[in-house]
Amino acid sequence: MSLQFEKLCSLILLEHFGEIIQKVGNDLYKCQSKPLNLIVGSTKLPFQKVKQALRIMIQYGFVTFAEGQFPDKAEYTLLADKVILLLRYPRYLLLMKTQYGDEAEMLVEEILRRGQDTASSVIIRAATRLKESLKVEKVCLVTLHDKFSVLVNKQFLMRCPSPDEEKGVPVLTIKEKLLYLPPELNLKGLADIEEGKPGDPGDGGIYWRVNFDRFHQDFRDQIMVSAISRRCDDNAGELLKELLKQMYLRTEAWAATSNPVPFTELREAVRKQSSRPLLGQYIEQYLKVMEEDSSGFVSKVGDSSGGQYSINMKTAFVQLTWATIENIVMERFGSKGARIFRLVRAKKFVEQEQIQQVAMIPAKEAKLLTYRLLEENFLHIQELRKSLANNVPNKTFFLFHIDLNQVARMVLEMCYKALYNAMVRREHERSENRRMVEKQQRIESITLTMREQGATAEQLAEIEEMLTPPEQALLEKVRTMINKLSEAELQLDETMFILQLYLSYQV
Amino acid sequence: MNANKTGESVPKGSDHSNAESSEDRILALAKASAKGISDKDIQNEIPDLRPDQRASIINKFLSKGYLDLFTQGGTLLYKLKDPTVAQKVKGADNEEKIVYSIIEEAGNKGIWIRDIRFKSNLIPTQLNKLLKILENKKLIKAVKSVSASKKKVYMLYNLEPDRSVTGGAWYCDQDFEAEFVDVLNQQCYRYLQQKLEATKDCKGGPIAARNISYASSKDVWKYISDLGISKVQLSVEDVETILDTLLYDGKVERTVATDGDHFYRAVESLLPAPGIVRLPCGVCPVLQNCSDVGSVNPKKCVYMKEWLE
Ligand code: SF4
Repeated sequence: MSLQFEKLCSLILLEHFGEIIQKVGNDLYKCQSKPLNLIVGSTKLPFQKVKQALRIMIQYGFVTFAEGQFPDKAEYTLLADKVILLLRYPRYLLLMKTQYGDEAEMLVEEILRRGQDTASSVIIRAATRLKESLKVEKVCLVTLHDKFSVLVNKQFLMRCPSPDEEKGVPVLTIKEKLLYLPPELNLKGLADIEEGKPGDPGDGGIYWRVNFDRFHQDFRDQIMVSAISRRCDDNAGELLKELLKQMYLRTEAWAATSNPVPFTELREAVRKQSSRPLLGQYIEQYLKVMEEDSSGFVSKVGDSSGGQYSINMKTAFVQLTWATIENIVMERFGSKGARIFRLVRAKKFVEQEQIQQVAMIPAKEAKLLTYRLLEENFLHIQELRKSLANNVPNKTFFLFHIDLNQVARMVLEMCYKALYNAMVRREHERSENRRMVEKQQRIESITLTMREQGATAEQLAEIEEMLTPPEQALLEKVRTMINKLSEAELQLDETMFILQLYLSYQV
Repeated sequence: MNANKTGESVPKGSDHSNAESSEDRILALAKASAKGISDKDIQNEIPDLRPDQRASIINKFLSKGYLDLFTQGGTLLYKLKDPTVAQKVKGADNEEKIVYSIIEEAGNKGIWIRDIRFKSNLIPTQLNKLLKILENKKLIKAVKSVSASKKKVYMLYNLEPDRSVTGGAWYCDQDFEAEFVDVLNQQCYRYLQQKLEATKDCKGGPIAARNISYASSKDVWKYISDLGISKVQLSVEDVETILDTLLYDGKVERTVATDGDHFYRAVESLLPAPGIVRLPCGVCPVLQNCSDVGSVNPKKCVYMKEWLE
């Protein structure tokens, strides 16, 4: 993996966990796996600190361990991909909030905060926070417990593996059927704990964590549905949603192509939804339109029982990746650059001469754009030697073409770099204005204590005036800047998601 | 004329070998057609002639100077040599003849002066003089090529320059009319987009809607002609060339009907602009040079500054 990725990874660790963990993470990144004493040696950190750092990273699933070269001696490995996922946490939470409500969001958030935790303590903490945010005396623990079970059933949450038997280096395992088995809690005990009394919820030792893949699956489906909606209309999007549901009944979620879904079943499922009469009426036509669309998401694979349809995940992400990259080329090189890029894509191998002719771009401009695309590695060149007759010197053709895999990797690198830059800038803005932010925080805390002591409105206003209007304006500006950057980071992650998924389907 | 003599000897006797009679028939064919004949014409005339035989016959004729070679619209044409031209050069000296034949060989694609010099081994001053003479005699002409603005190519006086030299409808005095192309590109897209818009309230189902959004290249051609934005008369093919640029702009889709007609429709991209380009780094020209150290860095970056204001 690349330098950019390493830098990004390291910065994320620093931002969320501080310097020590960053150092340990950096050290682990550099090698496959390493035992504890070597980490201590190369980081020059105290033994205890390294141990603690490793423990935290294991808890969050950033580090795994296994018996290494020497028996009874664990070696630790960093899972950098998992670290990068930290950036996606807000999106996971948003998904929970929109699809399963506030309680689900709280529950997932509480697990993400700790990396892994028991069901009972997650529920209790979520309950406490709900009480605060809703300003109510009591929240129903049963509802939270049910929500938790729903999330487990939907496989958004899963049980953590536990060490099987005591050996030198424990091996973490879990039985498949236990993985998504909802917790059985003693609700009475739970309620007691919540009220601050001693009680036993009955789930000691069973830890839960978030199943990221399940979230990614939803993201993936959302992207595909919205793409089809853009291409055709919302009805088509809805149909794809149904098709995806049917697919999950018979296909493993990450298969490149789904097993065939019979038309009759699909029609049944659509009919049950009365909200879209047009879809019910024209379902066959919608299928045909989707099947014939150049996006190639859906294809007809058989004629039995009214037709068999399957979803081509792999193809879909090839198409989506092309669309992403084409859009990027469009923004970086303008519409003429994008035209050349698409032209090379369509012709596979093409000469410079032909590019300017077909693209109808003045020769000079076309050449300039083509070579800029080449320079930035969006295009590649292939040399073709062709000897004509004996008496003529060898003629060499230079053909332009695109290696999508390579471009996707390169664009992903760009994303890592851009993300890193945005984070650096965000931190920079924050530290540049640290003094001001701290001042504001101080004033706020003073106001708070004064109010508790029963200060008059006048006194309060006086303290607030300690922050001058220009200062307040500046603070506001910094806040909007930081928000803008954070928002951009999340949007960037969407681009990364598509590219990563594309690459994962390629292997 | 040699060619005629050969031609006259055709009908005699059945003992002519196959190849010889083919030769004669090809010549007769070339004689009959003033425009020249293509490989296909020959094949139609003598179906049992193998391509390699045909090629060897043609080569023989070309080397003997009976035939001239042209390209027209991408196909090769063979034309009987005009006897009068041969006479025209007759009065000239040897060097003139050589230069003339080199230019003649180049056909309607023309030939650069440098290449003439290499082929003829004449010194530049002498060659220039010769070219002047030939030009004055109206035997050859100089044409400016669109592919390289400063270079002239020479060809025989009576030839119509190839499209690759003049550039066709999109060139005006070998200047590519980029703006004209852009305007046409926009207008074609507008037309197709309107058609797509019209499908929004179509109640006849998705297939009907899709069919409404399609337009044949003839429809678009008619629309463009009616608009009257073009000074020159455009052909349907010209409009298709423009429509193809829209295809590569990713704005339209093309299908070919069973009868070979091209149909176009406006389409939406699968995705909106990706997240990365919403950040200055996504479109940054110096992204590759940007790092923590040095003058291009994210902390001091002016693009970021502008964007954040
Ligand atoms: S930080 Fe500025 S200079 Fe660096 S890549 Fe981003 S926009 Fe370009």
